[in-house]
Amino acid sequence: MKQVVAVTINGEAHELAVEPYRSLLDMLRNEAGLTGTKKGCDVGDCGACTVLLNGRPVNSCLVLALEVNGGDVVTIEGIQSGPDRLHPLQENMMKFGGSQCGFCSPGIIVMAKALLDENPNPTEDEIRFALAGNICRCTGYTKIIEAVAATAKQLSSGKEITP
Amino acid sequence: MNMSVVGKSVKRVDTLGKVTGLARYAGDLSLPGMLHAKIKRSNIAHASIKQIDVSKARALPGVKAVLTHQDVPRVLHYGSPHPRSASVTKDQYILDNKVRYWGEGVAAVAAISEEIAEEALDLIEVEYEKLPAAFTVEQALCPDAPLIHDTSPGGNLVMDPVIVTRGDIERGFAEADLIIEGEFKGGRPTPAYMEPNVCLCQWDGNGKLTVWISTQAPFMVRGVIAEVLGLPLNNVRVLVDHMGGGFGAKQDLFQNEFLCVLLARESKRPVRMELSRKETFLSGRSRHPVHVWLKQGFKKDGTITARQALLTFNSGAYGSHAPGVTGVSTASLTSLYRCENVHLEGRAVYTNTPIAGAFRGYGCVQSYYPLDIQMDEAAERLGIDPAELKLRNAVRGDDIAPSGHAVTGHGLEDCIRRGMAEVKWSEVRAQAHETSGAIRYGWGMGCEMHGSSAYPGIKEQGNAIVKMNEDGTVTLVTGTTGLGTGAHTALAQIVAEELGVKFEDVGVVHGDTDVTPWDIGAFASHTTFMGGRAAQMAAAEVKKQLLERAAERLEAAPGDLDIADGMISVKGVPGYQISVREAIAPRLGLPAAHLVGTASYHPTKSYSFAAHFVQVKVDTKTGQIEVVKVVPVHEIGRTIHPVAAAGQIEGGIQQGIGHTLTEDYVIDTTDGHSLNPSFVDYKMPLSMDMPPIHTIIIETAPNPGGPFGAKGIAEDPIIAIGPAIANAVYHAIGVRFHHYPITPEQVLDGLRKKNEAAPRPGIAA
Repeated sequence: MKQVVAVTINGEAHELAVEPYRSLLDMLRNEAGLTGTKKGCDVGDCGACTVLLNGRPVNSCLVLALEVNGGDVVTIEGIQSGPDRLHPLQENMMKFGGSQCGFCSPGIIVMAKALLDENPNPTEDEIRFALAGNICRCTGYTKIIEAVAATAKQLSSGKEITP
Repeated sequence: MNMSVVGKSVKRVDTLGKVTGLARYAGDLSLPGMLHAKIKRSNIAHASIKQIDVSKARALPGVKAVLTHQDVPRVLHYGSPHPRSASVTKDQYILDNKVRYWGEGVAAVAAISEEIAEEALDLIEVEYEKLPAAFTVEQALCPDAPLIHDTSPGGNLVMDPVIVTRGDIERGFAEADLIIEGEFKGGRPTPAYMEPNVCLCQWDGNGKLTVWISTQAPFMVRGVIAEVLGLPLNNVRVLVDHMGGGFGAKQDLFQNEFLCVLLARESKRPVRMELSRKETFLSGRSRHPVHVWLKQGFKKDGTITARQALLTFNSGAYGSHAPGVTGVSTASLTSLYRCENVHLEGRAVYTNTPIAGAFRGYGCVQSYYPLDIQMDEAAERLGIDPAELKLRNAVRGDDIAPSGHAVTGHGLEDCIRRGMAEVKWSEVRAQAHETSGAIRYGWGMGCEMHGSSAYPGIKEQGNAIVKMNEDGTVTLVTGTTGLGTGAHTALAQIVAEELGVKFEDVGVVHGDTDVTPWDIGAFASHTTFMGGRAAQMAAAEVKKQLLERAAERLEAAPGDLDIADGMISVKGVPGYQISVREAIAPRLGLPAAHLVGTASYHPTKSYSFAAHFVQVKVDTKTGQIEVVKVVPVHEIGRTIHPVAAAGQIEGGIQQGIGHTLTEDYVIDTTDGHSLNPSFVDYKMPLSMDMPPIHTIIIETAPNPGGPFGAKGIAEDPIIAIGPAIANAVYHAIGVRFHHYPITPEQVLDGLRKKNEAAPRPGIAA
């Protein structure tokens, strides 16, 4: 039988009815209509479904929807800095070419935001370590790492970084 | 040529949706009343289906349709998208009364939820009669091997062997001062695209079918579905917007498309079918595992006098792209390094293992790995630097390419020279190696060439429609598919450049077989080359019409006009100009101008070139190989979008490092089941494994057949990296590997054998 989950998603309060075995990922995609979070493996191997749960990055396919009752979830759709303003990570992923097929991009951007929230000036190794659970098959990671590093620089210096 | 849009890394037309989560992929769609479908898969590799009982599954509440081989049309079809070409085979049924590999679909269910569909699969009872199986090429080629198909030309061969002969190898080998031969083996890497295969099908009240799908070749999906179901093409509409990678494999149909279509027809409801990650391994397409025997003769100065090879490809349970891959791979050995006398034979063999198909590099990964490594071996025996030996023999202008065309320019030589200078090749190669510690470093290099377009295997055709709207903006209508490469951006840049308008003023319509001109699909590194050239030609047609219109206003001949940055001016008359918008704007009594250009382009072939230079670090205690640095040099004629082009190169290198060192989809050769169908057990290089890549793109051999001279780039980067790594490993530890992937235990084993073979110090001979 379905149960109701009360959860804040991207700042909005929701009450969503889900089967008890449903994952947070399926709840976001199917019940909340937020399909930006992707399902690449459904078993926690690829990171495409990364969202922030109470400020911490999680593989949403590995979290039961019922567990987030009373919690706060941020997805790729809630990352933007303002209604018409992209997060610098989003800008830089485009500008530096960090997004190709784009299927991993939402998870990468959310993961990178979690990193920068905690560590505003990461080294290249720290960026690579933070993204170790996010599989990208298109880019070789070069341009993703550049985009995250440029964002860190941009946020701390206030100056835009160009490729 | 002075370019204003081409050559600039403009903002891609597809990435805003991707970084905001608003881009819609086929799997993101849902329709009212939509059902969910699942496939029942065999747990045996080779068997006849004696009986299949679906009564319990049909009775399960929530189940709306169940299909077995008894319920679907029995039409032999091409599982791949180029029917009537020489590249593919016609050997598949939607569902057969036999299974030929572990994990093949035997039934399908549509239900109101995925869970009910899965439960129903468990209720389907299949009685198999086990057949003797062949899990390796060796087994399949035995005279008494079980026959996997009755469509073969003989035994388990997929098709007649491919034979390519030029000159006289006997004379060539007789003239040689040095003859080297060796055997090489390639593993079974898979594309492992991030988006699992998915489709959503709906029949409307008038019997028209719409399919939303993740495919590289929507018109081919339309064609095959229509052919198998006996539908006219205008009653099948295939839609593709964004897709999460394909790398060649998503040219094929994977059983699920047909089943989804038929379940939707049976249930009269929209049906969605998404493969699990495990299913993308089980029923996906890998690169063809290969065995290569290669023999070459050399003169003392390094001239190659003869080349002979036998390549044997493991096609798995179905033919898929075996004819195409075998043909391209076999022919590829006529070139790269010049040789007048060649005799090459390629075979493809059915086995009871997962299906091999198209994967980036399409046969050239399998052929140039052995060829380039053998050049490295020859260089050592001849006492010539390996890069120098490759340079002396590099393919060059007017040589006959594998496709039978004359090569344009000296791209490969330019790549080798540039890379040698960039890494200071002679210095790094000459550096004395640390031989006391556990860590050894080495440098190696490898080369490749790859054609843009599948010609002559397929006679291809690129089409485009370009329209100018009454406000001066432009719409490009293209049937090309965007796998994630940025192809649609490149095409829009080409149109903007040709028309002389701003990039931002060009919009792209794509992804709908009812609307766009026909397209063969996004593969063979040809989208920018062929689709881009067609778009350029269509834009030129619009430009002609626009200038004729502007000529009246400017009271000049159309030939005296020029367009730049959205302004039309009379050549040599400064300030005398009108905007494109003014030229096309509605006039009294005429609501809108109808400015449309269409173009159809039939390309032949162009070749792109690359030389990859690699530094590796080998831990002789653990056998671990680490790629420290990669310097890829690519010659692509003309770069349309530098960032996107470099992105292709870096991604190809990632996949190439993968298949060379860690990636192998492993099949148990006792029963045919997969040992590692997951992202945890199939090891791809991730963020921490990837080395810095210093990408260099040069434009020294533009091809007149491409837009502004541009050639393809997608497949090239996965090819040269493999032999470059293997050669660097040899430079580091003196152990020669003839296979991929090269695993740590094999490195340790190789070091042990080398040390055993070496004379022990202190013991007199």
